[in-house]
Amino acid sequence: MATQYDIPVGAQHISLLEPLHFKLTTENEKIVDVQANVGYVHRGIELACTSKFKFRQVSFVVGRVCGLCSISHTTAYSQVAEKLLNLELSKRAKYLRILVLELDRIHSHLLCLSHVAENSGFEALFMKTMKDREISMELLEAVCGNRVQYDYSVVGGVARDLRPEVAQMVLARLNDFKPKLDDLREIFENNYSLSLKNRGIGVLSSENVKLLNAVGPLARAAGVPIDVRNETEDLLPWKEVGFNMVLGDAGDVHARNMVRIHELYNSIQMIENVINGLPEGDIITETKAMPEGEAVVRLEAPRGELFHYAKGNKTQILERLKIKAPTFSNIPAFIETFKGNEYASAPAIIASFDPCLSCTAR
Amino acid sequence: MSMKKIETTLETLKADIGAFYKVDEHHFIVMNVVDLGGNQLDIQWFFSDYAQPCEVTMFTAKADAGVQIPSINSIVASAWVAEAELVDLMGVNIENAQKGFVLEDDFEGSPLRKVK
Amino acid sequence: MKLSGYRKKSPWILHYNAGSCNGCDIEILACLCPKYDVERFGLINTGNPKQSDILLITGPVTKRSRERLVEIYAQMPEPKVVIACGSCASTGGVFRPMYNIEGGVDQVIPVDVYVPGCACRPEQIIDGVVTALGILEQKTKEIEKSHILHVAPLEEDGQVNRRHMAGTIKK
Repeated sequence: MATQYDIPVGAQHISLLEPLHFKLTTENEKIVDVQANVGYVHRGIELACTSKFKFRQVSFVVGRVCGLCSISHTTAYSQVAEKLLNLELSKRAKYLRILVLELDRIHSHLLCLSHVAENSGFEALFMKTMKDREISMELLEAVCGNRVQYDYSVVGGVARDLRPEVAQMVLARLNDFKPKLDDLREIFENNYSLSLKNRGIGVLSSENVKLLNAVGPLARAAGVPIDVRNETEDLLPWKEVGFNMVLGDAGDVHARNMVRIHELYNSIQMIENVINGLPEGDIITETKAMPEGEAVVRLEAPRGELFHYAKGNKTQILERLKIKAPTFSNIPAFIETFKGNEYASAPAIIASFDPCLSCTAR
Repeated sequence: MSMKKIETTLETLKADIGAFYKVDEHHFIVMNVVDLGGNQLDIQWFFSDYAQPCEVTMFTAKADAGVQIPSINSIVASAWVAEAELVDLMGVNIENAQKGFVLEDDFEGSPLRKVK
Repeated sequence: MKLSGYRKKSPWILHYNAGSCNGCDIEILACLCPKYDVERFGLINTGNPKQSDILLITGPVTKRSRERLVEIYAQMPEPKVVIACGSCASTGGVFRPMYNIEGGVDQVIPVDVYVPGCACRPEQIIDGVVTALGILEQKTKEIEKSHILHVAPLEEDGQVNRRHMAGTIKK
């Protein structure tokens, strides 16, 4: 038996945006065992949401769980609070939520793709992808008023209406973006150097996806059709605005890249459908009711299934709020995926998971 | 999205979930504990199915604080993450789960319990 | 050009996330990329604290990341500048009353530049970095100032005892 070495990655590492610690046990360059420490970013948001903040303020606090998918958290919380209040939203508010959710998905997926390129050693592609990502950031700023923390969904609806000139700008900029996305797809699909670092690396089989309950692009790249947008229709009308499931088959880093890129095409299509078919109505529904009972909400964040559980007791302060982030479900799958790969592939594999530790630890 | 609630007890929990959970049909979401006050805990396990429209199934069991809760890791291979987190935050006693997932070793008490 | 000149023209930055929500982190990443491009000031993102001059910190300091933050700060060579990016890093922000939070970065290590905003915009980060360049230059001058020794240096085992020498410098 060859000697085994423990090699740490993190908590501070050039390839990681966040403090995440992996201890990789290697044998002849092959990773044989992994230990993950994901608790560096634990702040205690669940307690603060049920003690310090009133239930209408909580939608702003849960946005600070994660800056990458803050709209997913605020929307999921707003939906669960609306269920506790028995509130029915106007169709316009639902469409506007879909608009920002999909714009957010574009920026998040492009960030992940650029990160995979950088960690595979392709610096020029990283810069190119980040340059194209700025289009989605500008659109988010025009629609919501801020580049990162949008606070767009509030309990009862959305915070800002979409002005006609902004809607025209979104359509025009997305038209500019399409040829750039074609370029990116061409590089990610066919570039020989990148394929050496991505094809056949970090394979997660569909059996393991189901066994370990993985979610999001990680599961879809292995061919498992799990997408909350496909499964629920009652809270947001996904099928109506043209959602299509994107599936891969190989389950490796390359398949995850391709799933993300094809989801971008679908997101652009959905945004166009939302803007062209935006119904009239109020953007916010007022109520004086207090949250009562318990409710759950599932929502598809860029990284996978987001789950909120809330329990109210007819006061301003909630009794319990439980947030389950997508990366939290994927940790067992991460550990399984590393095994059998070379140590040098570890950064690219980590980036292809698109981990979000501030969601996981909260 | 409908939610089905199934009442169970800690003794029959493993048999109930073992009979319900099929790897190809169901997806384990998360485990959750709610402090009901007065040393009573409401323990919940959430599952959803891959069908459309999906259905969320919640197994729920009431227990006193301090009673050992059986681990479902032998049935659902990825349940250890949710269990490790609850050991830290709710101070519950779950079979084979250790402290230290998100909190420091020297952290005193359980932050999400009503009586600290 | 002397080493100090290179430091002024090309300070390397180290980024550490002490418990942030990632919002400020992706804005720092956006700064390094073509649209905002802080590399025109010679800044390069590095992963090694021993080669870096500017420490960019995002987020409030959580209990688990505090030790790592102090360790990284201690490993950076003098002169160094610390920038707290975002409201949470400056004061603790919305997370300040939470149980696993130590507070802003200045509760743990000295901070030179505070960048406000949730999340701080790339323009603000660039402004903060340019301010930090001035502070870095000032600190470099401070270090390179010559001092008059009033007592003869103490020699031990054929080497000058630097601690004794530092103690004899009159301010």
